[in-house]
Amino acid sequence: MGERVFAVLGVFAGPDALLDAASKLEGRGVGKLEAYTPYPVHGLGEALALRRSPLAGMVMVMGTLGTAAAFLFQWWMNAYDYPIVVGGKPLASWQAFVPIMFEVTVLFSAFTAWLGAVFLLCRLPGLWHPMLSSSSMPKLTRDRFALSIESQGRDFDAEATREALRDAGALETEVVRFPPAPKPASLTLLLGLAGAGALACVVAGLATYWTIKVFPTLPPMSRMLQQPRLGAQRSSSVFAGSAGFAPVAEGTVARGRLPYPFKTPEEAAVLGNPLPRTKAVLAEGKRRFDTVCRVCHGPLADGKGTLTKAYGASPADLRTRRYQAFPDGSVYHAIMSGKNAMPSFAKALTEDERWSIIHYLRALQRAADAKDSDLP
Amino acid sequence: MAAETLFAGPSTAAGLDDQVLAVPESRPPLPWWLAFACAASLAGLGLACMAYTVYTGIGAWGNNRPVVWAFDIINFVFWIGIGHAGTLISAILLMFRARWRNAISRFAEAMTIFAVMVAGMFPLIHLGRPWVNFWLFPYPNQRGLWPNFRSPLMWDVFAVSTYFSVSLLFWYLGLIPDIASMRDRARGWRRNLYTVLSLGWRGAASHWLHYEKAYTLLAGLATGLVLSVHSVVSFDFAVSLVPGWHMTIFPPYFVVGAIFSGFAMVVLGLVVVRSTMGMGNIVTDRHLDLANKVVLGTSCLMGYSYLLEGFTAWYSMNPYIHHTFGNYVHGTYGWAGWVAVICNVLVPQLYWSNRARNSLPVMVGVSLSALAGMWFERFVIIVISLHQDYLPSSWGLYKPTPVDFGILLGSFGMFFSMVLLFARVLPVVATTELKASLPGSQPRRGPPYGLRPPPPARPESEPGQPRRAVRPEDRHG
Repeated sequence: MGERVFAVLGVFAGPDALLDAASKLEGRGVGKLEAYTPYPVHGLGEALALRRSPLAGMVMVMGTLGTAAAFLFQWWMNAYDYPIVVGGKPLASWQAFVPIMFEVTVLFSAFTAWLGAVFLLCRLPGLWHPMLSSSSMPKLTRDRFALSIESQGRDFDAEATREALRDAGALETEVVRFPPAPKPASLTLLLGLAGAGALACVVAGLATYWTIKVFPTLPPMSRMLQQPRLGAQRSSSVFAGSAGFAPVAEGTVARGRLPYPFKTPEEAAVLGNPLPRTKAVLAEGKRRFDTVCRVCHGPLADGKGTLTKAYGASPADLRTRRYQAFPDGSVYHAIMSGKNAMPSFAKALTEDERWSIIHYLRALQRAADAKDSDLP
Repeated sequence: MAAETLFAGPSTAAGLDDQVLAVPESRPPLPWWLAFACAASLAGLGLACMAYTVYTGIGAWGNNRPVVWAFDIINFVFWIGIGHAGTLISAILLMFRARWRNAISRFAEAMTIFAVMVAGMFPLIHLGRPWVNFWLFPYPNQRGLWPNFRSPLMWDVFAVSTYFSVSLLFWYLGLIPDIASMRDRARGWRRNLYTVLSLGWRGAASHWLHYEKAYTLLAGLATGLVLSVHSVVSFDFAVSLVPGWHMTIFPPYFVVGAIFSGFAMVVLGLVVVRSTMGMGNIVTDRHLDLANKVVLGTSCLMGYSYLLEGFTAWYSMNPYIHHTFGNYVHGTYGWAGWVAVICNVLVPQLYWSNRARNSLPVMVGVSLSALAGMWFERFVIIVISLHQDYLPSSWGLYKPTPVDFGILLGSFGMFFSMVLLFARVLPVVATTELKASLPGSQPRRGPPYGLRPPPPARPESEPGQPRRAVRPEDRHG
């Protein structure tokens, strides 16, 4: 038993004897006092002059933080980062955030109370604490009470301390020593631990790979992928000619897909713009023009688009008199069949969109050469 | 036994340890094995039905439009409610200094944990694709999406997960000193296990200060929580526009129902613990009598809620709500409404009689009736309200499948398996708390346990005299 002394323990039969002894020894300079009891004994904290627990303040701070955090993350997620409109209600509707603010407050507070008390203030877990190997411990978690005087250094006189405890009424005393220092770990043990660690890493990596890559492909997780459907470039057995879609019934025309019989701009000149010149049509024309035409023809239809340089082509300035005199039908033909370097845009635009673009183009032409009388 | 005896157990701390802690140290008797075999078989049946559901999809259940919520959500609400009694006993009765709670708090808290665990499974399997349950939580994802926090279903996720976490913390904190006692009685691997589980608790006076503060704080937090959780569960219904759900009475109505069914389950469990584990001296008739009084009180509140529901329906002048309320009492499923009223309101009225409150067969019967009644009440609220709402063209009937019943039975099996395991592995009674309130356990010069001390007379401190500690104010009080 050459180990260092941790403390000297005096065991008492009841809480009154313990409290008397604590009051007798506290403040005498015998050493740091601590008591060990099977359940909380009232007045012991005061008798040992222990400071009050700061836990309530910690919980208060963390709980408030929880309230604030819950409000902020809900507001940020639902009103700012990913605004979701529900029933036309305002985005930052704090009333709807209250239940979760309450729950997070309780969650933060409870974890602070538990972790703060157990880990921070009591400094647990203490699995190798000298007291656990004391022979009195089984009595102290059962029905006995102990007062301990902890060793402050080399000149700690265990015998005198025992005497002081006996004088204070202890039934029995015990010198509690630190547990013997563990033997230095052998090389084999260290290598074994390192190997186990490496194995654990590999297993964790494989498990992660399996969870992310393999698990979702197993049934029933993969059921969403196993629906009857036709993949790209696959032939179908349902329709004639292995097509994925039903062929258009003979003698019918799909809505918005009237056949276009004209071969030249002159032939197409007979077409007239079927759309009225309204604000909505012009807005739609501008929207489609900006999407489809603008990159080459430029925002003002002056042929100064951003793509022009890259392709080396030079689209015409559509605001010139020549194009102002171009009939609507001929412009329509250009969109349908292309013109010089310009490809056909028949597939990019519906019929109404083409005609609304033409209305918008006329507006641009007129704006390029506006007269005072054009002002409203 | 005299109903006045609050505690007839061992009068010493050592005796208490020898009685309570000896249970987990001994081998379980044959009846325990039989009970556990039954419960575990039912649990196995339930797990098999759940696995079948997950593998085939929720088409395995009877749920379909318009009754899209059925057994899954009924069971969820039922089990969450069962948990409420535990928190009420451990937290609210602690705040009220109802000392009779000490003998039954541990068991009730354990019931809370297990009930919430069982309840938590139902929303998960109800998802249909439980393997993506993490979508419920706000976590940064590559889709740039966040959940909708204005939805009561999100509130539910937070409420239930907070409730489970806090209940677990509270329960474990109470267990630490008891596990330390078990550690010091055990040898070999058990000793090592209990050392780790007790975190090396050594009962230091400086630790008790923080421990007691943490326990009181957690009790205060759990008090607010227990009232909020079933309120939030009721929001799942009340915030929607379904006739029969959209009512302001729902939060208190749900909380009262939860406490009612929870106490019925506590009484049932305590009767079993008492009679099979020889705990009749610690959990006395008086405890059961008090718990039965809570059942009676909450049963009357349930009756009031039912009446108020009828009144709200009538007062609303809303033909849809009139129709739904009519369905509660004389529709296709009207019988379920009457089962709820009879089991929840009429049968517990037996408890006005002292003899009924103290008779074991009567209390077992009433508790079973309360549990059945509360399950049917949720059936009434969910199935009857959903099966006929606004558009007669979308009305429909609901019929559960065998899988539904298998999962329902399985939930009871899982709950009782866990309760039985707990009863043999951990101390079912909070010995440390009971020790602290035994006669003579506190210093004579201090105030009696749980009472406010008289104002301290400040002693004249003389030089050389050791500094006399100021009497405790009300650290416990």
